[in-house]
Amino acid sequence: MIRGGKSFVSSPPAFSNDAKKLLVCTGNMVSIFSTDTGLQVMELEGHTALVTSIIVEPAPTPASMILCYCWTSSLDGTIKYWDFSVSELMKTINIQLPVYSMVVPSFLAYKSENNEKLSDIYAYISVEDTKNEQNKQRNELRGKILKCNLSKSRLVPGVILSESKKPEKITISSTGKYIGIHEKRKIRIWEVPTKDLKNISPRKLKLSHTKNLSCIAFHPTDRIVVAGDVTGRILIWRGFGDKTFAGSNLENEKLLKDEDEKPGVRGNGDADSCTTWHWHSSEVKVLSFSSDGVYLYSGGKEGVLVLWQLDTGKKVFLPRIGTPLLNFMSSPDPSLASISCADNRIHILKMPRMEILKSISGIKLPSPVPEMFRGSCKDFVFDHTAGLVAVRTENYCIQFYSLFDDREISEVQVCERNHQPSDDVTMILNLVALSFEGSVMCTVETRMAEEGIGGFVTLKFWERGSQNNDFSLSTVIYEPHRDAGVSAVAFHSTRGMAVSASYGGDFKVWVSNHEILQNDKLFQRTRWACHAVGSYRKKPMTAAAFSNDGSVLAIAAETVITLWDPEKNVLVAVIGSTREPIENLSFIGDSNFLVSTSQGSNPQLSVWSMAKLSVSWSYELHTEAIACSEKDSHFAVLVVLPESSKADVATSHSGAILLFNAGDPVPVASWFVAKAKGGGIAFIQRSGSLDDDMDENAGQVLLAYVNGEHEYAVFNPHGVEMQERKVRHTDNVFVTDPEVTGQIGYASIYGKLPEFKLEAIEAGAEYTTPSERPWETIFSGPSHSLPPLTKLCSDFLESLLKKRTGTLI
Amino acid sequence: MWAHDPKLGGGLIRDFGSKGCNRTPYPLKSPNPLSTRGKLNTIGRVTFSNQFHNYQKGAAGRRRRRRKKHRNINLPSPLLFSSTHHLSPSSSALPEQVYRFTMESTNIKDLLTSFSPSLDFLAISSGDGRIKIWDTIKGQVQTDFANIVSTDETDIFAKPEGGRMSVDYTCMKWLSLEKKKKRKLRSSLLILGTGGGDILALDVSAGLLKWRVSDCHPGGATAISSPANGSCVYTAGVDGMICELDSMTGNLLRKFKASAKAISSMAISSDGKILATAAAQLKIFSCSDHKKMQKFSGHPGSVRCMTFSDDGKYVFSSAVGERYIAIWEIDGGKKKSACCVLAMDHPAIFIDSKSYGVDNLGLSVLAISEMGVCYLWSGTNIGELQSSKSTKVMVSVEDDFSKNYKGAGPTIFSAKLQNFSKPVTGHVFLAHGLLIKPAFEKISIQCGTDIKLTSSMDGILLPLTQSHKSKKGLENQNHITALDRANTEGALLPVSKIFNAADAKSRDMLSLTKDDAEMDEVTVCLEDRLRAEGILTSDNDLKSNTILLSKYLKGVNLEATVPQKQMRAAVSSMTPDDAYTLLKLLLSMWQSRSMNGEYILPWVCCILVHHGHYVKSEESASQLLDSLYKLTKSKGCVTQSLLQLSGRLQLLTAQINKAADKSQILKQEESDAEDDEEEELLYDEDESSENTSGDENN
Repeated sequence: MIRGGKSFVSSPPAFSNDAKKLLVCTGNMVSIFSTDTGLQVMELEGHTALVTSIIVEPAPTPASMILCYCWTSSLDGTIKYWDFSVSELMKTINIQLPVYSMVVPSFLAYKSENNEKLSDIYAYISVEDTKNEQNKQRNELRGKILKCNLSKSRLVPGVILSESKKPEKITISSTGKYIGIHEKRKIRIWEVPTKDLKNISPRKLKLSHTKNLSCIAFHPTDRIVVAGDVTGRILIWRGFGDKTFAGSNLENEKLLKDEDEKPGVRGNGDADSCTTWHWHSSEVKVLSFSSDGVYLYSGGKEGVLVLWQLDTGKKVFLPRIGTPLLNFMSSPDPSLASISCADNRIHILKMPRMEILKSISGIKLPSPVPEMFRGSCKDFVFDHTAGLVAVRTENYCIQFYSLFDDREISEVQVCERNHQPSDDVTMILNLVALSFEGSVMCTVETRMAEEGIGGFVTLKFWERGSQNNDFSLSTVIYEPHRDAGVSAVAFHSTRGMAVSASYGGDFKVWVSNHEILQNDKLFQRTRWACHAVGSYRKKPMTAAAFSNDGSVLAIAAETVITLWDPEKNVLVAVIGSTREPIENLSFIGDSNFLVSTSQGSNPQLSVWSMAKLSVSWSYELHTEAIACSEKDSHFAVLVVLPESSKADVATSHSGAILLFNAGDPVPVASWFVAKAKGGGIAFIQRSGSLDDDMDENAGQVLLAYVNGEHEYAVFNPHGVEMQERKVRHTDNVFVTDPEVTGQIGYASIYGKLPEFKLEAIEAGAEYTTPSERPWETIFSGPSHSLPPLTKLCSDFLESLLKKRTGTLI
Repeated sequence: MWAHDPKLGGGLIRDFGSKGCNRTPYPLKSPNPLSTRGKLNTIGRVTFSNQFHNYQKGAAGRRRRRRKKHRNINLPSPLLFSSTHHLSPSSSALPEQVYRFTMESTNIKDLLTSFSPSLDFLAISSGDGRIKIWDTIKGQVQTDFANIVSTDETDIFAKPEGGRMSVDYTCMKWLSLEKKKKRKLRSSLLILGTGGGDILALDVSAGLLKWRVSDCHPGGATAISSPANGSCVYTAGVDGMICELDSMTGNLLRKFKASAKAISSMAISSDGKILATAAAQLKIFSCSDHKKMQKFSGHPGSVRCMTFSDDGKYVFSSAVGERYIAIWEIDGGKKKSACCVLAMDHPAIFIDSKSYGVDNLGLSVLAISEMGVCYLWSGTNIGELQSSKSTKVMVSVEDDFSKNYKGAGPTIFSAKLQNFSKPVTGHVFLAHGLLIKPAFEKISIQCGTDIKLTSSMDGILLPLTQSHKSKKGLENQNHITALDRANTEGALLPVSKIFNAADAKSRDMLSLTKDDAEMDEVTVCLEDRLRAEGILTSDNDLKSNTILLSKYLKGVNLEATVPQKQMRAAVSSMTPDDAYTLLKLLLSMWQSRSMNGEYILPWVCCILVHHGHYVKSEESASQLLDSLYKLTKSKGCVTQSLLQLSGRLQLLTAQINKAADKSQILKQEESDAEDDEEEELLYDEDESSENTSGDENN
């Protein structure tokens, strides 16, 4: 099992004390990168859910700089203590509530606390209260800030600093004196008590603003707090908490001050003054002070890092980062800092010059799609032979990402546009398709009309160069289907042929012609030309697929499937109809079955027999993706579980992968997965990778699952490995994992019969032969002879799913 | 003639060979050439004085231009670039040119390369004390180790002012310290030997010097080798000693004298049991007791490269100046001559070998020659290997580039044999091209067919004249075909209707002339088809009906009680449109009462069950179904009374004659009832669709 595609930017990273290493939260792991080379050197494995914060224990003396201890918090409800020089877990504290943010004030305050005896380390954690959820439903304050004694591994009882609708991120001042959160239009600030006094909650104050706030930062030495809001303003409150936090001896002075104006301070906020800076045009995401407090770094959606001189407000910029900024971290080494960007990249900056030294980049994250193109955009496609996934990126590129090596291979700029994150979207990359052997790529982009004119669709064919990974443009087709958008592109498996189907009611078959030009020297070029046009009753064509040998072209005309001879362009047959427009079509390997999916209010997964030209079997399932193996008759579907059953299964499971044999409606195997919405699956071949160790597995067909956030897992669907996993996961189903969480033979669900027991699953092959399977016979007939699927399937599935968890809990 | 100086002063060295040469100097067009020249010259000087190195470049440009005056349009000599480089090492526009210089000065003989164990990275050291780590997947420089030695503060021997040029690496080996089976984060070390005799170990991913053994081999280290498990490292030096170092810590484990002379090459078998050292003479040692096992002489000069076969039975070696690879068999015997020789055109600089096949008897050997050509031999045993012909892989330059480069063209400089699955095909991972920007490629080699790789000139900043580049750009644009809206409509074959494959050809000819307008109205026209089949015209002809019937039913007799199974099989094997015509046929027969409903109805029912989807999707079917519905309804309303009647009759007949056959009647009733249900459903849908279409019309 190979996992990867983790997001590097989900939580802020942390530098080690010598600034040689950068600790990055990657899913449920912490990956440690070298800041010198930008390569990964180590990872900390142990958490079972997203890691939300890392705090490196500071070194009290320069000699102990090499000490590498850190605390991590995670949504799995634990706080762990690591020695990251050797990647060893030292300690685990179980909070039992998902921790969204954690700060440890005493780490920062060590300078002031001179030679006291080693007191306990306290952390403030922001958790989501999931315990009361069952009893009280909505409008409950679920986010809480609690205090945790890390040394004694327990929560400090009775200390709840705040309660809010959802868990908020805690920000701490660099001296550890204040912690704060921003919640809608308010900032709440607490003074951290220097001595631990039981049951005395720290002093607090509130500052308010007229817009929703997006981030806050504390000045390292003075009582200044800055906050960014969603409109791009930066607010600076100076001298906050004079009243609340300052000692009583200042009372007279304070009274005097009270009578003065407090310029800019809204309400009865406890601050001297509030000034506003405005440069950012949209939400400010990053605010950070330099260590001496003279400068302030800010960043936001524009992808520009702005350096402000705090006293004068003068600015220096690091422009053209090209993607929204998410985090800024300064390191103990004053010459290094890092910024995390929304395109899943961390740049290490050389500091006074703000120059990018190294970049750590991962798979591109899903880019937002405008509402009107929601249905017609495909986020990624697979290159089955090379084990790559081609991801559509926000800056009009296609990123090729190796699933086996978990790294970017190359990036192809598809549209000649310079993307700036704050610009209006004028162009959108709709579809990508790769030919079977990965040598030809087809992209569809839509240029949106500006003031009603000029919008059109472009279809582009790209050829891969002979040796390098670069694709070069071979043919551009403007408005391939007049004004209509392209719904699907599919490639012929053996020859240079492709089909594009449009919502406008026609499809076009394109063929490539090789030309050898002979001007000054010999070179070959390929041009694609239209070979045939077809339509069926002017119905929108919604999906297309070539059969494995390429002799049949299946085009879905809304609810029916039309079968064509692609060479002669003859309509061979029309089959079926589904209740909703078909969204996805695929021929299943070398079997004579075709699988189609439709979504909407009546989702359907149907398998059509090509021999009988009729439905072989179908389910009412919301299917996100299909993957068909080339050789045998297996296919896998990624289904999104209905809302009703989701509540019963563990909440992290939003979908399931079901592996079917084409002729048989009973799944061969199934896996529950998380974040299935927008995900995709594919069978990929494990090529003889660069790695010699992999040779024993060469040629194997593996199933790759990429979830909606582009995290992926590659596994052998038939392998022994999965069998082992299965057993392990049934032992503790609540091991929540962002990806493939548990493997429970779907067929074992059928074993919900009274005699069903856990041991039955663990016995392995047992589940394939339950003693009574009335369902099999019911499902095996044509769908007409079944009771209506609406009655049969949904009730059936849901009842089963309920039953299953019931037994496990 | 000084008109271009400001531009040159701006730091764009790459313009040297281009604009200056091709553009007509514009002072010629100026009305007063003298004054223009003078003015521009001043501007140029002002720019130069801003920065010293700019001035230098400007001076270089002037020198060049002077030469141009004398119609000497040669490229500036590389030396010129190098001098500018040293003056301004931080200029970002320069590096690629600089590398070109270093490349031209280096032969691949002096190049040190090593692939990382997983082939993700390639380390290249070209003798300037700089190690570049290339990412073989992306084809980019991942990182660069310029002065590891001088940054190492803990070392008292390090000269503070040494810089990177003071280190010369003499040998390099990338070994994996893989212990646990974990894919991504294998720890690996790059072991380097220096001319000063130090051994360094670099942790490449962390970018740190892991350990260092100073003066391990006084006079210089010459070779590094390690067994497959990477537990220890063997180093050899000019002093004739072999040192065994612990690969984790660099501690000296053992040391012995292998030769009185300098050792030029050394290799260890993958199991770590046998060690081979070579100066001119090749000696085989046992690693456990350091006893000499065998001695081979035959190389005239010092051996440059040497490797063991996977099983440790053979040693492959090649000496400086030799145009062959010698294979020595290690059997402990007294034989002192090579058992096999593989000939090459040029001396080898690198050898790799791999075993394959049953019992690993098959051997494949790869070598790279001084000219950067890769040779490959393979045989299922040693005898076959000897007789095998070499397969060459070479890099060809894609155009007239090499002329201008005087032999410093692209080469293959590093290779790694991968799995050699079959005796004739193998996979080789190659790094080739220019050192400035190597290309990495995994190629599949068929033994016997030479391969020519084309090298692209990607990484070089304008190596030739600007004109060449711009021409190339134009060509690139020509590669792209653009089709607009009109072009895309010119499909080769317009849409065709459903018709039989038999008359497809004749239709093809016709339809070629049809245009878009007609194409749009194309639907599945059933009437046409029926007419073609001769059904519509002869609707009422009973004879033709029966003929057709027999055609469709394929020998199943309609006028007989067919078993349910057989009927279903017959119907489901029909194509939907056949079934649909049959349905029409049957209904017309039923309506015209040309046949008993008892026989017809089961068929109708069966067709509707199996091809209901298709029937529903036919527009003309709504009428048909409508009439069927009416018919069945009219029949249905009498069913009740008929049932009563039959019940009575049954009772009567039962009473009268116990041997009466009742199954027939019952059966008919059943099918009747079932039929009704089906129809209702279908009719409803049709009606609704009609309604909606009616609405649209309104």
